[in-house]
Amino acid sequence: MFSQASHNSRLTPVEPAAGSTEVIARVSELIADLRPDNVDLLAAFHRIQHEFGYVPREAVPLLAGKFQTTPAIIFGTIDFYSEVRTTPPAETTVEWCSGPACLLKGSLNIRRALEAILECEMNRTSADERFGLRLVQCDGTCHLAPLVRHEGRYLGPLTVSEAIDWARGLVGGGEVRGQRSEVREEASDVGAPQKTAGTQ
Amino acid sequence: MTLTTYQDLRAKADAVWARAAEPQRTLIKVGVATCSRVVGAEETLEALRRAVAARGLEADVMVTGCLGLCYAEPLVEVRRPGTPAVLYQRVTADKVAALLDESVAGDGIAHGMALAVVGDGALGGVPALDSLEFMRGQVRRLMANCGVTDPGSIDHYIARAGYEGLTRALRMKPVDVIQEVKDSGLWGRGGAAFSTGLKWEFLHNAKRKPRYLICNADEGDPGSFVNRNLMESDPHLLIEGMIIGGFATDSDVGYIYIRDEYPVPVERMQRAVEQAREKGLLGEGILASNFNFELEVVRGAGSYVCGDETGLLSSLEDRRGMPKIKPPFPAQAGVFAMPSNINNVETYTNVPLILRNGAQWWAAMGSEKHKGTKMFSLSGQVQRVGILEVPLGTPTSDVVMRMAGGPPEGRKLKGIQPGGPLSGVIPASDGDIPLEPDPYKERGVLMGSGGLVILDDSNCIVDLCIYFEWFAEDESCGRCTTCFAGTRRALEILRRISSGRGRMADLELIKLLGKIAQNANCFHGQGAPTAVASMFRFFEEELLEHVQRKRCPAKVCRGLVRYEVVHRSERLPAAEAICPTNAVVRDNGGYRIDQAKCVKCDACREQAPYAISVVDEFALT
Repeated sequence: MFSQASHNSRLTPVEPAAGSTEVIARVSELIADLRPDNVDLLAAFHRIQHEFGYVPREAVPLLAGKFQTTPAIIFGTIDFYSEVRTTPPAETTVEWCSGPACLLKGSLNIRRALEAILECEMNRTSADERFGLRLVQCDGTCHLAPLVRHEGRYLGPLTVSEAIDWARGLVGGGEVRGQRSEVREEASDVGAPQKTAGTQ
Repeated sequence: MTLTTYQDLRAKADAVWARAAEPQRTLIKVGVATCSRVVGAEETLEALRRAVAARGLEADVMVTGCLGLCYAEPLVEVRRPGTPAVLYQRVTADKVAALLDESVAGDGIAHGMALAVVGDGALGGVPALDSLEFMRGQVRRLMANCGVTDPGSIDHYIARAGYEGLTRALRMKPVDVIQEVKDSGLWGRGGAAFSTGLKWEFLHNAKRKPRYLICNADEGDPGSFVNRNLMESDPHLLIEGMIIGGFATDSDVGYIYIRDEYPVPVERMQRAVEQAREKGLLGEGILASNFNFELEVVRGAGSYVCGDETGLLSSLEDRRGMPKIKPPFPAQAGVFAMPSNINNVETYTNVPLILRNGAQWWAAMGSEKHKGTKMFSLSGQVQRVGILEVPLGTPTSDVVMRMAGGPPEGRKLKGIQPGGPLSGVIPASDGDIPLEPDPYKERGVLMGSGGLVILDDSNCIVDLCIYFEWFAEDESCGRCTTCFAGTRRALEILRRISSGRGRMADLELIKLLGKIAQNANCFHGQGAPTAVASMFRFFEEELLEHVQRKRCPAKVCRGLVRYEVVHRSERLPAAEAICPTNAVVRDNGGYRIDQAKCVKCDACREQAPYAISVVDEFALT
C-alpha cells in the first residue's frame, strides 16, 4: 500500500525535544490511543490544543513518533491549518470575522478601529500580551454581520461606534457593554446616524 | 450482535414522536442551532425550563433545530393541545416571562412577538407560516425536519419516515440503487454538479477493498451555511444517505469531515452516529442484512482547500491538506490510496428521499434540465438573512428580492455572489436568471454550493475583489506557483488600484494572471480569478473610474477617500470623543481631521453624519 511504503521510508528514530517533562508526559498521555493511518492526527491537534491552548513544540517529536513520520512533516501539517496555534493565546482574544457579509456591512472599519484601540495588528498580540486580535472565517452567523466574537460571545450587528465603546471597555477593564450601546439614540444632528450599511 | 428490523424501530419511534406531534399538554419548542445560539437561544431555553418549573405549568420544553429564519432567531414555538401552534420571533431570555403570561392568557397569543401560525390559515391576525414571503415558494424536502423535530432524537427522525429509504435500498441490489440515483438526475451539490450516480458507479466498479465513502462537510465558502443547518437540525438524514451510499458502492468505512468552525454540527453528528450504532443502523449486519458499514466524524482544523475533493483526502491522511494531482481519481486511489468517493452533505441528504419516494417523485421538482431542490443561504445586503430551499430553476430575483426582501430600505441591488469566493459575481441586471448552473456558467460564473451573498450600491466591486483575491491567496496550499504567487501578484495589483496608484497596464496584467492561473492543479487556483473576470465583464465602468479618475464611486476604497469636517455641528465633540486615534482635533474654535492620524474607520461620521463627510482624495476629471 502506498501509505505504508512511504511511512517505512521515513521511519527515523526521533529524540524527544528538550522541554518541560510535564508537557511531554501529558502530551504522551493525550495521544496514547491514536494510530497512524487512522485519520487521527487532526484529533491529536484538537486534544493537545484543548489542553494547552496551543500545540507546544515538545509535542512535535512525540507526534512524529506516534504517527511514524518526521518532525518536519508534523510541523508542516501544524503550520498548514489556521486553527492550530503554536504560541499561547493572549490573555484576551478578540475574534474578527473576515467573511463577505461582514465585509459588505463595513467590517473593515471595525477592524481599523479595533487595531487602533487594542494597539495590536490582526493575528498578533499587543506589546503587553494582554490583547490578541484574531481573524476568523465566516461560520454563517451572518444575521449578526458585522460581528466580533469574544470568549464565545457574539457581538453584532455592530456600528463602528459600538465596537469602539465596547473595545474601550475591554481595555479599561471596566464594564463591558453588550450589543447595543446608547450611541444610536443619542446621535441626532440630522436624524439618525447613518450606518455604513442599512440595518433591518 | 442485535438484529433489529425496521418495523421494531418504527413502532417505538412513532410513540415517541406522537408526544411531540400531537401533545397532550402544551409543548414549547425552542430552536437551538448555531444561528440561534449566538443570539441567546440557550439562555431562552434555560429560562423557559426554569419558568415552567417555577410556575408549575402543565407544559413540556423541547429542543428543535433551525427553520432557516436566521433573521428572526431565537424562535420559540408554542403548541397547545387543540389549537394551531404559534411561532414567536426574537424571544430572548428576558422576554420569556411575557411570552408565558400572554400565551396562556386571553386568546393565547403573545401578539408582540408572534411571527406566524404553524399550519393552515391565519389566526387572530397572525399570518400562516407558509404565507410569509420568506417561506412562500419554498419546497422543503431536505429541510422537512429542520425546526420540526428534535435533532438529538433518532426516534423523531425514524417516525417521520427516516431510514425507510435505507430499508428499501437494502432489499435492492447495489447496482439498482445506483441506477435509481442515476435516474433521479441528482448531481453533486458541492459545486461541481457531476452526476452522483455515475460517481458511485466508478467506486462500485473499483477492484480493491477496503473502500471509503467520504462526506465533504468542510463548508468553507464564506457566506455558505446550508450544510451546517442540515447537520445540526437533521443529522440522521446525512447518516442515512451515507449508509445507502455505502451499500450501493460496497464501501466499508465512511468519514464525515466537518470544518473546525462548526462545533455544533460536530457534536450533533457525533451523537447521531452513536445513536445509529446503538439502533443497529451502523456496524455489522445493518437492519438484519449482511451489510456492514462504519461511520466516523472527523473535525478539520481550519483550511479552505480541505474542501477540495483531493485536499480533503490529504487531510484525512494525516498530512497537509494539499490537493492532489488527478489522475488517479479518488475512485481508483483515494484516501490511503484505496478506492474512495466524496460527496457534499447536500448530495448525500438527497439520497434517502430518492430511495424513500422513488426517482420519479424526486425528479418531478426542478427545471427541465436540473432536477430536485437546492438549499441556499442568504447573507450580506438583504433584509432577511437565512436559509431556504427552492426547486432548481427558481428565478434568482424571486429568492433574493422577494423572499429575502432585497437590500435594505433605500438601497439598490448591485450584484449577487452565488457560491463562494471562487464563484464570481453576477450584476443586478442579470438578477432574474434561474438558479441553476447553466445560466450562471454562460456568464462566466459558478452557481457553486449555494451561499448567495448580496451586494448593494453602498459596496465597491474593487473592494470585494480584493477580499476574494486575499482569501484565495491566504488559503492557497502553496503547491502551484500560478496559484500562490499569482494570487499574490493579483492582490498587489488590486490594492494598488484601490489606493489610487492603478495604471491602465495593470488591467492587462491582471487579465494575464487570470489566464496563467488556469494552469494551477486544482480548482482553487483556477477559480481564484473568477471574481476579477466578473468585474471586467460586468463592472468595468466602476473599475475604470478607480484606475483613470482615481475615484471610488461607493466611497469605500480607503486610499481614494478622506474624511473632512464640512459643517459645524453640536455632534462634533462626540465625534472627537469616539475617534480611536484622536484624529478629530480642535482647530481655531472649530474641528478638523488630522489626516496623518486618521485610520478612516468611519466612527466620527457615524457620530456626526452632517458635519463630517467622506470626500474623494483625488478629484481628477
